[in-house]
Amino acid sequence: MKELDAIIKKYEGKPGRLLCIIEDAQKIEPRKYLERDVLEYIARKTRTSVSKIYNIITFYAFFNLFPQGEHSIVVCRGTACHTRGSKDIQDFLLRYFGFGDGVEGQQASLTTKDNKFTLKTVACFGQCALAPVVEIDGKIYSRMTQEKLKAIIKGMDNKKKKK
Amino acid sequence: MSDIKISVKIDGKDYVFSGPQTILEACKSASIEIPALCFMEGLNKEAACSICVVEVKGARTLIRSCVTNITDKMEIYTHTQRVREARRVNLELLLAGHPKDCLACGRNETCELRKMAADMGIREVRFPKVQKTEHQIDRTSVSIVRDPNKCILCGRCVSMCSSVQGVEAIAFTGRGKNSKVSTFFEEGLANSVCVNCGQCAAVCPTGAIVEQNAVDDVWKALSDPGKFVVVEVAPAVRAALGEEFQMPAGSLVTAKLAEALKKVGFYKVFDTQFTADLTIMEEGHELISRIKNKGTLPMITSCSPGWVKFAEHFFPGIIPNISTCKSPQQMFGAVAKSYYAKKFNIDPRKIVVVSIMPCTAKKFEARRPEMRSAFDYWQEEMKLSEKEAFYDVDHVLTTREAARMIKEAGIDFVSLKGGDFDEPLGISTGAAVIFGATGGVMEAALRTAYEVLTGKELEKLDFMDLRGLEGIKVCDVEISGSVLKVAVANSLKNARKLLEEVQEGRSPYAFIEIMTCPGGCIGGGGQPHALDNTVKKMRMEAIYREDHGKKLRKSHQNPAVTALYKEFLGEPLGELSHHLLHTSYSERRETSYGKR
Repeated sequence: MKELDAIIKKYEGKPGRLLCIIEDAQKIEPRKYLERDVLEYIARKTRTSVSKIYNIITFYAFFNLFPQGEHSIVVCRGTACHTRGSKDIQDFLLRYFGFGDGVEGQQASLTTKDNKFTLKTVACFGQCALAPVVEIDGKIYSRMTQEKLKAIIKGMDNKKKKK
Repeated sequence: MSDIKISVKIDGKDYVFSGPQTILEACKSASIEIPALCFMEGLNKEAACSICVVEVKGARTLIRSCVTNITDKMEIYTHTQRVREARRVNLELLLAGHPKDCLACGRNETCELRKMAADMGIREVRFPKVQKTEHQIDRTSVSIVRDPNKCILCGRCVSMCSSVQGVEAIAFTGRGKNSKVSTFFEEGLANSVCVNCGQCAAVCPTGAIVEQNAVDDVWKALSDPGKFVVVEVAPAVRAALGEEFQMPAGSLVTAKLAEALKKVGFYKVFDTQFTADLTIMEEGHELISRIKNKGTLPMITSCSPGWVKFAEHFFPGIIPNISTCKSPQQMFGAVAKSYYAKKFNIDPRKIVVVSIMPCTAKKFEARRPEMRSAFDYWQEEMKLSEKEAFYDVDHVLTTREAARMIKEAGIDFVSLKGGDFDEPLGISTGAAVIFGATGGVMEAALRTAYEVLTGKELEKLDFMDLRGLEGIKVCDVEISGSVLKVAVANSLKNARKLLEEVQEGRSPYAFIEIMTCPGGCIGGGGQPHALDNTVKKMRMEAIYREDHGKKLRKSHQNPAVTALYKEFLGEPLGELSHHLLHTSYSERRETSYGKR
């Protein structure tokens, strides 16, 4: 909680500080998610009701309520990417990781049982000219295809095994 | 500001309005009712439903009248083809996602969404249902059920819970089509700071928030020949129940109610007002004793269970200030299953106490684990095992549920001639009636405290300073040369102001009354649905009318209460009173900011 105190202090008196605090709190957590205790701590320190905090973190897709996998794969489901086949890419990933198909919209993020990969969607990255776009571990990959994806994921898996 | 004149044309007719106001308000004063689902005067300006749109000359788009102020020379059109078509589309979009099981819905007669569909003549919904997943229904609370599937996301409940009550148990969660109103981590109302006031249910336009239904339990008890099912009725019920039978607001239905409940099949029809008088005897003496013995002051009333839970969550430090008196509902249960059982030689295990309350928090209060004083009273004497433990109050019905039972029993309520409450627990004074309005408990307490302290008769019984819908009311009462400062608050946001003073040790008052709901019990979360303050005022007037019509208007004059002390309790604050009529409170772990 010391780290949290530092974060909260950093933004003291700044307007809109709550979002910054929650964002930083998620960053310092190795598995990139927000635990109940952490949220209650922030609520107490910032005199914000827990219902309000829950309102905020469930609004933004960026915030996670569950532990995230080592690697994150975010498929853009914006209009441009959709017309260039992002639905197929998403369905491919759902099948590849064994999540079954057609779960779009029900759950914001899905994590594999071995905690290696977390699959998410986003409304738009603003990279429409490069559609379809997929973000993997913070890096944007453009004109994505199933073959390219397969290669990247395999690469990540192998790298792990070599270590 | 308000003397600025604004000329506006509405539907081709010229109007002049004074001061800034919204298009919706201006139209209302010009007798043009603009339909709106999310808007609520003084509470909600979410501009979420898009039903209240109007056409304004020169504006590119349709304008939401609830959030747009009139400007000079504005030309407004309230029901052009474009406006009506837009409203219809917006309503159909809401209906598309709404369940169609109106026949089996708790609000099927009072639903604003259903009424609007009827008013607009909707015969077909052109849009398919998009939301395919069912939201889980929150049944955790003993008072309130929330069904997000029926929610139209108008935001009234969220505004009520935060800006009027300052509780913030619920908030919007999720986004887009996954939006809903929920609690922290979806843990349900029972695991939140919810105080069960039911004001969310009172303002909900649909059946998304309703009370936990106890009607079936009561019918079941009534059909058991081995039980003596007695009923107690809270004061505020008689000033509002008539509305459920299309009687005008402010109708007093005391006698009809007594007769109807007899016809429904209750063994005895008693009155919570009897124990309201008893409460005044105990609470009045508690106040006197605190003043004389330099006890904790200010003393704060404890009749309103929403407020009591609020204190346990938010102001645990002032628990010693809260009167230890149980509420009239709970005193009734304890007295019925001890004194009454003994006097009429009835096995207390066979007595079923049903209460009819304007309140949803009373359902919670009746289930507080400590509310089994009558069982404790009998346990040794009757050699009862823990397994046989019974609550003092078995079932709590809201005013709305009571109306449903009367309807189900086929009773033509409006044409009833009227009957009397049964003796002895049905006898009450005017002081007990006014418990139903904010300021009433204080006024009733002052009537008795004055006479007990001075030994003289109080000439002016009406404390006008303590009446009305004002959020906080104060009054200085002169008693034998010294001044007693008192304050009254209704709604928890107002209460919070007085409580912060108490917490910081700078409260100038000796006695404070707090009612959870706006207007007091007449505006309770279990009352007939009425969004308008004029309805509350009329119920309030009815309460004071009833008080005026009573021969006895001071609690200490209640002959049945006097008999209860003589035959059973001894004296106020005595040993038996302590066991049966007083209680204690404890700090709760949940706060607005998570667990303590």
